[in-house]
Amino acid sequence: MIIRSNIIEAVNSLTGAKQRSILALIGIIVGIGSVIAMVSVGSIVQKEALQKFLEMGTDIVMISKKSTDTGYRKSKNQEITLENALNLPAQCPGVRIVAPFFSKYETFKFNGKKSTIPALGITSSFQSINKLTLKQGRFLHSLDENMLYCVIGEKVEKKLLSLGATKLVGSRILFKDKYFTIIGILQRVSLGGMRPFEINEGIMAPFSTLKRIFPDAKIKQVMARLNSGFGILEVKEQIQSYYKRHNRLAVTVRSPEALIGQMKKQMRLFTLLLGTIGSISLIVGGIGVMNVMLVSVTERTREIGIRRALGARKGDIQFQFLVESIVLCFIGGIIGIGIGVGATYIICYYAHWQFFIEYASVAIGVGVAISVGIFFGFYPARQAARLNPIMALRSD
Amino acid sequence: MPDFQYPTNSRVMNNMISLVNITKTYEIGPVQVEILKGVNLNIEAGELISIVGQSGCGKSTLMNIIGLLDTPTSGSYSLDGRPVADFSDNKLSEIRNRKIGFVFQQFNLLSRLTALQNVGLPLVYRGISESKRNKAGMQVLEKVGMLNRALHRPTELSGGQQQRVAIARAIVGKPAIILADEPTGALDTKVGQEIMDLFIRLNQDEKITLILITHDMEIAKQCSGYVRMQDGILHKN
Repeated sequence: MIIRSNIIEAVNSLTGAKQRSILALIGIIVGIGSVIAMVSVGSIVQKEALQKFLEMGTDIVMISKKSTDTGYRKSKNQEITLENALNLPAQCPGVRIVAPFFSKYETFKFNGKKSTIPALGITSSFQSINKLTLKQGRFLHSLDENMLYCVIGEKVEKKLLSLGATKLVGSRILFKDKYFTIIGILQRVSLGGMRPFEINEGIMAPFSTLKRIFPDAKIKQVMARLNSGFGILEVKEQIQSYYKRHNRLAVTVRSPEALIGQMKKQMRLFTLLLGTIGSISLIVGGIGVMNVMLVSVTERTREIGIRRALGARKGDIQFQFLVESIVLCFIGGIIGIGIGVGATYIICYYAHWQFFIEYASVAIGVGVAISVGIFFGFYPARQAARLNPIMALRSD
Repeated sequence: MPDFQYPTNSRVMNNMISLVNITKTYEIGPVQVEILKGVNLNIEAGELISIVGQSGCGKSTLMNIIGLLDTPTSGSYSLDGRPVADFSDNKLSEIRNRKIGFVFQQFNLLSRLTALQNVGLPLVYRGISESKRNKAGMQVLEKVGMLNRALHRPTELSGGQQQRVAIARAIVGKPAIILADEPTGALDTKVGQEIMDLFIRLNQDEKITLILITHDMEIAKQCSGYVRMQDGILHKN
């Protein structure tokens, strides 16, 4: 009963001093809003990143030459080649298919306009390993070796369209000094997993074709999909020992698990950082509430005296002001959650992330708002309760 | 030190209010000011007594002590035969809430609340529901002739009307005692007299003990008895 009338009282007195209440509310709204937005964005980014790995599957490894060469002296001149890469499935029982590739930047020209884009020299298995889908046309086939064919990524498509191209498949573009015929347009792929970023940015052409244009190009990485029934560590061992035996070459084999683990660790730090920034603004907001409550206590000293004379216990007075502070923070919290979720939605919209509401963060937001109300309302409420009733009655 | 007992000359335990040798000293900086210098007063249930004196003579301090808002520096105060010095702060609040009604010179209504809400305020601290508070509030507002102003806020009422609402608030909890500190002080003579008539009626009809503090002899004379206060000491009239 007394809680209900206290809440009604609190709302009345808060609406009675609108301007002040609104200013205090803004502090809490900004605080809770930023905590919610930052924590939500943090978990959305994390989910987004994991999603990309899952899209490609976790049975993929990336093989590259060890950059800092410590193990084998003679490997200095040794490289991963198309031949030794294509030998992997035969030599390592755990490897099912491989997709070696290299990338080169060059000028491309269309309708007299020049720009620099990357090109990937690939084999036909590149499509299945990266799970690429086509918007138009077809992908490169093993029969296309040495042909001046290319498949283009989303950004190249956009660029060409903006340069006035109408029918892309079948038209020709000048890359370095060769005319390539576009045979397919790729759907946009999400990055961040193990996919090379060039897929969206550039063009893809047969390995052999590009190797003739860039004779000194070195294989950047070999993507390999594993056979089921083999553990990552086991396959890693097979691949490393293969290169050691045949080429005296030290290679790094990266698996998604390791990357995911590393990423999760980074994300936790990221979320923690964002949460801390949000919490600081929340503390500032809380101090605003405390200030408003102290002013409210001072302004209503006489009221406190009257209530004490009418039989309010110290606890009743303390409770009344505490409820007022909690109500203030609760309202601020609800609006803040709304704004935080809204901000998250806008960020996701522009970043093309999958938006979702983390209900745990909403619940935490409400909890935190109420806690802020209690924490920062406690001192003013105690001040109110400790007022001497006679002095309070005499004040103006 | 004059030993005043009213109205009988023996100290009887069934006195509702019994003050023995009450003193009150305030420390204002380094200076100690003795406001009450040994007050003795007995008040029986159902009395209508006024305490008369110039401003600054200590009568408000005395009322605060009787009203349990303040504690004496020395001396003993018994309410219904029980020494109040034994009571905790919460107990004192409860007694104020259930046994005592206050009426102030400046009415002391909360301007945010309607007359009806103001009247119901003491019942909030008994945990009584709003509907019951309103029902009780309407009853007492009718008693003081303010039923038609129940939903007005204090700023929309005249001084006399506000004081009637304040009296309704004082009696809504069916207290045994009403303490009124200069209840007519802020009102003109005619309205003041109406308020006084209301007090007399409450005293006679509801058998409420009334203690009135005033500097107005015309008011004091209408009471069943009055005592004069001067320089912290009570004098029998």
